[in-house]
Amino acid sequence: MTVPKGSTVVMVGTRKGLYVFHSKDRRRWRLAGRYFEGIPVHHARYDPREGMAYAAVNSFQFGPLVHRSKSLTKWTRPKSGPAYPKKSGWSVAKVWNVQGGGPAQPGVLYAGVEPAGLFRSEDDGESWEQVDGLTKHATRPKWQPGNGGLCLHTIVPDPKNPKKMVIGISAVAVFRTEDGGDTWKTMNHGLTARWFPDPKPREVGYCPHKLARDAEDSGTLYLQHHWGVFRYEEGKGRWVDVSRGLSSSFGFGLAAGSEGGSAYVVPLKSDGDRTTLGEMAVYRTRNGGRAWQRLTTGLPRPAHLTILREGVGADGQDPVGVYVATEQGQVFATRDGGDHWDVIADNLAPAMSVTASPYP
Amino acid sequence: MRIVLPAALREYARGASEVKASGRTLGALLADLDAKFPGIRQRILEDTGVIRQYVNVFVNGGQVEEPDPARVRVEDGDTVHIIPSVAGGSR
Repeated sequence: MTVPKGSTVVMVGTRKGLYVFHSKDRRRWRLAGRYFEGIPVHHARYDPREGMAYAAVNSFQFGPLVHRSKSLTKWTRPKSGPAYPKKSGWSVAKVWNVQGGGPAQPGVLYAGVEPAGLFRSEDDGESWEQVDGLTKHATRPKWQPGNGGLCLHTIVPDPKNPKKMVIGISAVAVFRTEDGGDTWKTMNHGLTARWFPDPKPREVGYCPHKLARDAEDSGTLYLQHHWGVFRYEEGKGRWVDVSRGLSSSFGFGLAAGSEGGSAYVVPLKSDGDRTTLGEMAVYRTRNGGRAWQRLTTGLPRPAHLTILREGVGADGQDPVGVYVATEQGQVFATRDGGDHWDVIADNLAPAMSVTASPYP
Repeated sequence: MRIVLPAALREYARGASEVKASGRTLGALLADLDAKFPGIRQRILEDTGVIRQYVNVFVNGGQVEEPDPARVRVEDGDTVHIIPSVAGGSR
């Protein structure tokens, strides 16, 4: 099976391998194949700019590697995976996120790992170097794992400035660098960490679940936090709670749409239940979170589904295709920006991630 | 020495289930193995250099309990088995 040029590809990382789907019209989807059978794939994505796909393959016994593929059907194993220096006392347990450097950093690949750290590769994942400015951050001794582990799960490069980047670490904080990773500052102003006995601002102890950059305004970010959905505007320098209008402020997945101001989230019932609130509903904003539309056409009811932090993806096309993968093994998709949804795959292994992209 | 590889690591050795390597300790043996098949040592050892928690190493049928492979003596003629832990049941 080959993936035809001119397709849209959807990559679903599951606890039991990677599924790759493709479609010419985003109506009829074909399975190109299932890869890394039985092995957890926390994240996989195709980078059309680089013409390469990457998969974070985390063997329970033999550790993590970032595999790559041009064809999406034949995968190449690298010589080595990200590894901490021996003297650190840490060992990379999982790769949670793989992200290209974007237009400002062609040829660069980043990996976010557990225990939390950032790695950089300049040879398509064949070798990795730790971004030790982050690991040496003054707050590092205070970093504590959440239920998902101490994971660096989101990497958001700046498309215009190679020196700037934002990352998210669960149960710790949002961090940013403006000097290419040498130094990092926390970026929590406006967030609250409600598990502490008092609400005073802290450096760490926040719980970013997923971050995304606005499609048009590179200074605007969206955040699904443990307690609320937030918008950040660089000029204001603080997070603004935009949860009003959502059925729950809790959730994991988040994706930016193709138009400025647009984003998608899937609220879940509390941090104890972590399932959809009786029915599957996606929420869309077109104005940076100032208002939300509840989208349910084509989505199941009743439904108590779990969507994890990489469980919402967008394909960057116009109109945007949005994809939601569940731990119950379904993939829901819309090709009209969310007005109508279809099930494009079902009965997969439990899904942890979904990404989508043109395959030009 | 003869090293018996699990199925998951045979792709490093072009599909071979058994390979040869030498060294006076298990650590040196794995270094020699890695020189022949780059990357394979990282699958057996943690970044800290100890044997991965869910990888078992047997020398002549006896399970290695010392986590630091540099402290495990091996000799010519030994047979080393590398075996992943039994998995399954939780998910």
